[in-house]
This record gives sequence, structure tokens and C-alpha cells, in this order.
Amino acid sequence: MSQNNGDTLTARGPDLTSINNRDPWEDARMKLKPSTPTRKPKPPKPENAITIGVSARVLFNMEKEQQIYEQQGLEDYIKYQVEHETQPFSPGPAFSFVKALEAVNTQLRELYPDSEELFDVVLMTNNHAYVGLRLINTINHHQLFIERFCMTGGNSPIGYLKAYHTNLYLSSDPDKVREALEEGIAAATMFTQEKITEVSDTQLRVAFDGDAVLFSDESERIYKAHGLDKFFEHEKAHENKPLDHGPLKCFLEALGKLQKKFYGKGQRMDCPIRTYLVTARSAASSGTRALKTLRSWGLEIDEALFLAGAPKGPMLEKIRPHIFFDDQMFHVEGAAEIGTVACHVPYGISQAMPKKGINDKETSSAPK
Amino acid sequence: VGVAFPLLQALQRVNGRLLEENPSESLLFDVVLITSDSQQQQQSSRIISNTRHHGLEISRFCFSSEEDFTESLLKNNVHLFLTTDRDEAAQASQKGVFSALLNGKVASSEQLRVVFCGDAVIRTDAEPPSASQDAAQSFWAQLGEMRRRFGMLDSPLSLVLLTSRGGRESCGTALQTLRSRGVNMDEAYSLAGAPRSPILSLLRPHFLLINHLED
Repeated sequence: MSQNNGDTLTARGPDLTSINNRDPWEDARMKLKPSTPTRKPKPPKPENAITIGVSARVLFNMEKEQQIYEQQGLEDYIKYQVEHETQPFSPGPAFSFVKALEAVNTQLRELYPDSEELFDVVLMTNNHAYVGLRLINTINHHQLFIERFCMTGGNSPIGYLKAYHTNLYLSSDPDKVREALEEGIAAATMFTQEKITEVSDTQLRVAFDGDAVLFSDESERIYKAHGLDKFFEHEKAHENKPLDHGPLKCFLEALGKLQKKFYGKGQRMDCPIRTYLVTARSAASSGTRALKTLRSWGLEIDEALFLAGAPKGPMLEKIRPHIFFDDQMFHVEGAAEIGTVACHVPYGISQAMPKKGINDKETSSAPK
Repeated sequence: VGVAFPLLQALQRVNGRLLEENPSESLLFDVVLITSDSQQQQQSSRIISNTRHHGLEISRFCFSSEEDFTESLLKNNVHLFLTTDRDEAAQASQKGVFSALLNGKVASSEQLRVVFCGDAVIRTDAEPPSASQDAAQSFWAQLGEMRRRFGMLDSPLSLVLLTSRGGRESCGTALQTLRSRGVNMDEAYSLAGAPRSPILSLLRPHFLLINHLED
């Protein structure tokens, strides 16, 4: 049984029309754009890796195609995709994050050549296999290291997420993200952004909101029900009681595991992975409980930024994370405005509530 | 009911839909029940009436001896031979009958799901196609044609490609090759070495088409 390992593809000049008398094997070689002609490392076993599931629409920009699907239906959408098969998609919101993951992998492989504790990016899409070739061509074009994918042809990808021990799932479909969260998989919704500021290509930076992201939404519920003063009181009183964990806690944990591998080789100061907590809690009071909770979990966070209700934008601008997770669309949109790749975690009490301005928060509250 | 029961029901559903689309459709699934077990042969009339009782449409019953059951298969122009017996499948395969193992776990979906193990789709030009591979390809081509009778959505039949060992290139090439033979896949999964069984249990195939039963 032979396998085509990409080294011998010679694709030149897509010839979409004539299949005719040529050997189908030849045609297959010609139509696929060549992938990086280097020796490819083997993907790690799913149970050892930190698996990131990304949907096609967050990895690549498929806005135009999505419009065709919504306005003209599935058959036209497929036809368009197949006609443009050799035309790669441009990067989507998750692209720079995925590139950064690969950069970390390269460094991990240098330090630990036999280890399987690496990031593994899996393409998890609802798309039909008809779109498969265009997606594969695009992955080749951008030289991404994605060897695993599930193109479910309309079926739910959630079961496959579990089969791959997925640690984080990113999608543009909030329903799928919610489903994943319900199954205990860290997940967030991503959106196309007008502006994406440049980020580091030597250090992966991941920023998290606190309540309802790393932590449960229990304190947020108090704030929403009883107002800011009550919130402060409560947090102070329960300072030493760890908060319950939120949906992204396990992803922070996974990042921490990889960070320790770099520390083990003396790379603590310039670790290729850096994590941030960006929270509306204030350092003086409610922030303490957050830090103590993290400590009780045995988790470290590199920088904790307590904004005391101030807008998160300017801080994110300074940090330039590759990705920022928040449970409130208000903050996600604010981050996107300044060019940070921000994703929404549809979890907790904020989802039922309408958007609140920061002014509302500062001037405190009528109970809802 | 036996292991193949849900499969037969799914095949019948596909036939039903094909005839709905075109009442004079000739590309239909035709099921032949074959047994070389002499005990079963003694109960032939019971077997036949049982199948009728369960509403299974079986066009032919073959009761042959162990030695020439492959002859029976060839004589009946069988395009795909399904069995739970690995040795039987290997034997038939050697004689040039495309064979596959029936999924031991009963598949539950209404839709007929056929999984192609893509590692088998690709072969070098150096290897001449065996009789069994030719039979395989002609079966796939017919399935591909059958699939084309239905639209993208709500098809009673779904063709699924699964590549276990290679990465995206293997899967991509398999998709290309199959397409050039008129077989368009609905779903595609590239495992790149990840364990197969969790994925297979989600795919719920009625049968798995693999090459030479090596997997």
C-alpha cells in the first residue's frame, strides 16, 4: 500500500477541464498544490497532545462563500467552492493563533525531540468533503501543519471533538460552541475582524478574562443580582474560598503544562508561552480571591491585570495577545476594535443579560 | 435478527428512494443471501419465510457447498460480498470477488453509510490491479453513480472517506482519485495515525470497504 507523502507532487497550472483519457492518478497529482517539501514530523497521539479543534471559517476567511451559502443554498455553495478549488482562502481570525502554536511546537521539538506533548491542530468542519480539496490546497499554500481533519458533511462535529480529546474548540458557530461547552470542552466563538494588529512571532500570548471564563460565574451572578457593593463585600468575605472553575480553566492548565517544559530547560524568563488574566476585578479587593483561586488550583498566570472596571482595550493593545477569551460580547467587541483577536465564551449569567456599558458597572446598581 | 438486518433495511430504503426519483430506475441494490452451512441449508424454507416475515427483500437464495461458494458468488455476478467471517472474505477476495467485513456492531442510522478506507484507494502505477481491485473499483463507481441520483441534502446514502495512516495529502489524493472515477464523497476524515475505533464508532458504517482486509 503506497502513500503519497507530498514530496513528489509537481503541480503546475491547474487544468480543471480535461480529465478525459489521462490516468486519474496523474490528474490527482497535478491538481493538488504542493505542500512544503520538507520531511514532515509525525502528528502526536491525541491523548498526549494539546488538541485544538478549529472550524474552517475561523481558520480561513470564507465570508464570500458563506454569503453564497446563505443566499443561494448548499448546491450553489458547493459548486462555487469546487470551481475555485485551486484558489486558496485568505487567513481567518484563528490563523495567527494557529501559526503561533506551530512556532511553539517547533521549539518544543528542539528541546524534547521524542515527546508527544505538543499542540495538535485539527480541522473540525461541518463542510462536505467537496470542499475538502480547496481546504487542503489552502493548508498547503499557507504551509500550515494540519494533518488531521473531520469534514462531517453536515453532521455535528461534537462527538469527534471528544474522540480527539480536544482541549480547545474554536468555531464561528455559537451553537456548536455551546454544545462543546456543555460537553466540558473549552470552546469559544470567533468572529471575522476588520482589524488585526501585529502580534509576536516568537512568543504565544494567551489572555483570559476571569469570571465566567477561568472561573465560574458565581460572583458575576452576585454582582448582577445585588450590585457592585454587594459583590465587593462577598468577594472579601470569601477571599480564601476558591472560586469554582470556569470553562477555560483546563486550557490554562494545558498551557501551564507546556510552560513547565520550557522552564525545565531554563527558559522561564523568555518562555515561548505567556498567559495573562485581564479582569474587571480590582487589585485592591476582589482581585485577591481570583489570585488565591489560581494558586489553590496549582496554576500560574504570568501577568494579572486588574482593571477595576476600566475598558480592556488599552491593556490588550499593550499586551498584544494572539487570542483573548471573554464571556461578554461588549468586551469582545471592544477588543476587536483595537485589533485584538477576541473570542466569546458563551457561558454563564451574562448570556441572558443585555450588554452593559462600563459606566453602568462603575455607578453600580439596581438589582436585576 | 442478525448483524446484517439494519444494513438490509438501509439498502431497501435507498432502493425505495431511487424508485421514487425514477420509477424505471435500474441501478438498484440487489441482495443475494448465500450460505454454505449445511445445517442452514436444511432450514432453507424457514430462512426464506423468516426473511419474508421481517419484510426483507431478498431476490435470490443460494445454498451451496463450502467448496464452491465462491463459484456461486461469481456465477451470481456478485459485486460485493459481505460476511462477518474474515476467512470467507479472504477466500472470496482471492477469487476476484470484492469482499468486505460486515460491521459487527449493529449500525443504527437510517441512512446507508459506506466508509471507504482511503489508504486502499491509492496504489502505485507499478502494481497491476488485481481482479479484486478491479471488482472494488467497479463497485465504487456504481455506488458513486447511485449517490448522484440524490441531492446534497437528505440523501438515503452517504459516502465517507477515512484515511488512517497518511496525512492530508493522502486524503486529498484519495478524494481526487475517487472523484475522477465518478465517486464524490460526502464526508472525509484524515486520522494521520490517530486511533481508528473512536472515529469508526461515531461514523457508524454499515460496511467498511478496505483493501485486501489487511486492516
